[in-house]
Amino acid sequence: MRIQNNWTKRALGIMAISALTVGLAACSSASDEQNVPGGGAESTGEVALVQGIRSLSNSYHANWAEGGDLFGASIGQDVVVLSDEGDSQKQLSLVKGLAAKGQVFALNIDPNTSSDTEAIVRAVTEAGGYVVTQWNKPADLNPWDVSDNWVAHISFDGTGSGTEVSQALFDDMGGEGGIIAIQGILDNVPAKQRFAGLQAALEANPGIELLDDQTANWSRTEALAVTQTLLAKHGDKVKGVWAANDEMALGALEALKAAGLAGKIPVIGFDAVPQALEEIQSGENRYVATVSTDPWWQGAAGLSLAYQAASGAIDVSKLTHEQRAFYAQQTVVTTENVTDFLAAPSAEAIQVDIDDPFARIVSAIN
Amino acid sequence: MSRSDLVSSAPGVDLRKIQRLFGTGGPLVALVVLVAFFSLASSTFFTLGNGSSLLTQLSILLVVAIGLTFVIILGSLDLSIEGVMASSSLVFVLLAANDRNDSDLGFLAVIAGVLTGSLFGLLNGVLHVHLKIPSFMVTLGTGAIGIGIATVLFGGRAPRLMDDSLRDLGFGSLGGIPKLAIIAVIVLTIALLVQRFTRVGRYGYAIGGDEQVMKLSGVNINRYKVLSFVLTGTASGIAGVMAALQLGVGDVTIGGGYLFTAITAVVLGGTALVGGIGGVGRTLVGAAIITVLANGLILIGVNPYVQVAVQGLVIVLAVAVTGWSLRKRVRAIK
Repeated sequence: MRIQNNWTKRALGIMAISALTVGLAACSSASDEQNVPGGGAESTGEVALVQGIRSLSNSYHANWAEGGDLFGASIGQDVVVLSDEGDSQKQLSLVKGLAAKGQVFALNIDPNTSSDTEAIVRAVTEAGGYVVTQWNKPADLNPWDVSDNWVAHISFDGTGSGTEVSQALFDDMGGEGGIIAIQGILDNVPAKQRFAGLQAALEANPGIELLDDQTANWSRTEALAVTQTLLAKHGDKVKGVWAANDEMALGALEALKAAGLAGKIPVIGFDAVPQALEEIQSGENRYVATVSTDPWWQGAAGLSLAYQAASGAIDVSKLTHEQRAFYAQQTVVTTENVTDFLAAPSAEAIQVDIDDPFARIVSAIN
Repeated sequence: MSRSDLVSSAPGVDLRKIQRLFGTGGPLVALVVLVAFFSLASSTFFTLGNGSSLLTQLSILLVVAIGLTFVIILGSLDLSIEGVMASSSLVFVLLAANDRNDSDLGFLAVIAGVLTGSLFGLLNGVLHVHLKIPSFMVTLGTGAIGIGIATVLFGGRAPRLMDDSLRDLGFGSLGGIPKLAIIAVIVLTIALLVQRFTRVGRYGYAIGGDEQVMKLSGVNINRYKVLSFVLTGTASGIAGVMAALQLGVGDVTIGGGYLFTAITAVVLGGTALVGGIGGVGRTLVGAAIITVLANGLILIGVNPYVQVAVQGLVIVLAVAVTGWSLRKRVRAIK
């Protein structure tokens, strides 16, 4: 993948010269005909497939890139991966570099921060490419306000999955007993959504009592200390541990181990980090569940959506607002489906989501 | 908690000796007041179970803060703590039995992790002394280097420590006392001895008090400054290994939050940021105050949304009240 990246850079250098003559004309004409879907695609033949991620060195984005490759394989094309290593400036210059190629491209990108999104989608609009953004965008900026080249924005709401994963914890406890909740940074949006999910689940389960909730700021170290203190405070009444992410759940698990309670008290988390998945698979310490956004889906469906817009299979101007800015479904991972999240899905399994990238819409982002 | 027992129960103890070791009494009084308050307000505070979790929570902070005391006495600062802890935790885990490679060096891995910290300390000291860069700038840079090295070693996911006997040091206990706390006590004892009986310990005060006088007396102050930084780095290295023992992984963020808390512990204990005054005994009191406060506020059920603010308020109050007599000397920025 890195080779492709370098190849891209070299190719960009060569193409820069030709772009001076052809590219400038193509760019201006592409922005003229931006309301005609696939307008540029027919003229250059093929749509370039591009993924914009942070880094291949973290398993989440590596899986995302793998999903994109599965989509690429489904239409017999290679996928270029742009990794910005968490650098917003680099990310933007890589995106602008795509424009210089003079070829229509489909980009599926995870903008570094909300404030980067606007610059990215405007650069893509100018270049006549098609982009799907995920996770971060400013709340008051929507794809239909910018252009049809910003096909859609996909994000995830922790409330629904929060309720579901809490239910998994309660079921494991037999529907009765006290739990302690370890929260993320209290004013973070996912922290709020996930805790709201827990509260919804608590209402549906009168047998469960929330003994205490404390923040550990998403940190494994802090979660260990907080769990120790809460275990001292509530003693035998603690029958389950709820944590707003896997890092903290794993910290809490260490506290349970130190107290000789690992395997006796169930734990849940969010994010599906590799170590949590391994704990779920082994079952030894009663790590009951976590929540995954399914990075393979994010890579495959997001790229497919951008490609379908670029190739003209989807008319962006006819999409609803819900289809252009939506919360996608998350999956609760338990022992039953954990193997699906330890390795990439098969080509057949992911084809459904490639064919219909909207299949996992939960609700519109308002 | 244990300190208050010592004051009240040990017969025939010279009060001045205690004062010299743990400070002028102010912070100690604050600690006793906090312990008394939480014991009354919460039935679980003064129990065996909570005592052991207090000791665990105190251990790593104490080791970091003890190390930091040595450079703060010089009038310098070490901001590289979190980066050093990150690097040493990963070096340690990757050399011990882990789930990433076939290495299984056992206790040698512990030593390698600690030495990583010492090396960072040496680098800090040499850069500070010989290039004459202010210590907080040097250590800010080396701290970033530490995080960088750790990120490379981390490689996308936290390597897990698979050596069961080492793991037991992290969460096991001996006669009800957590093993981590025993390590911390050993570090504390060594630090007290170093401070009391070695040149690097004793000269530190003089250098922090007035560097010029020391220079004019013909003392090679650079050497003792570098050694002080090595002590701090080594302590951060030990803390990184302890954190890895406790969490069972090596992690880039393993030292997160320790820098600020450790500086607070040192200053709260009564070591002056301008240098020359203080000591590791006082740091023990400072670290204990912070630990008791964090634990106690959860136990008495203070709303998490206001907990941080309450913590800050109590710390400001404690410093203001206990440092009243020192108020001219503790000012770092005038």
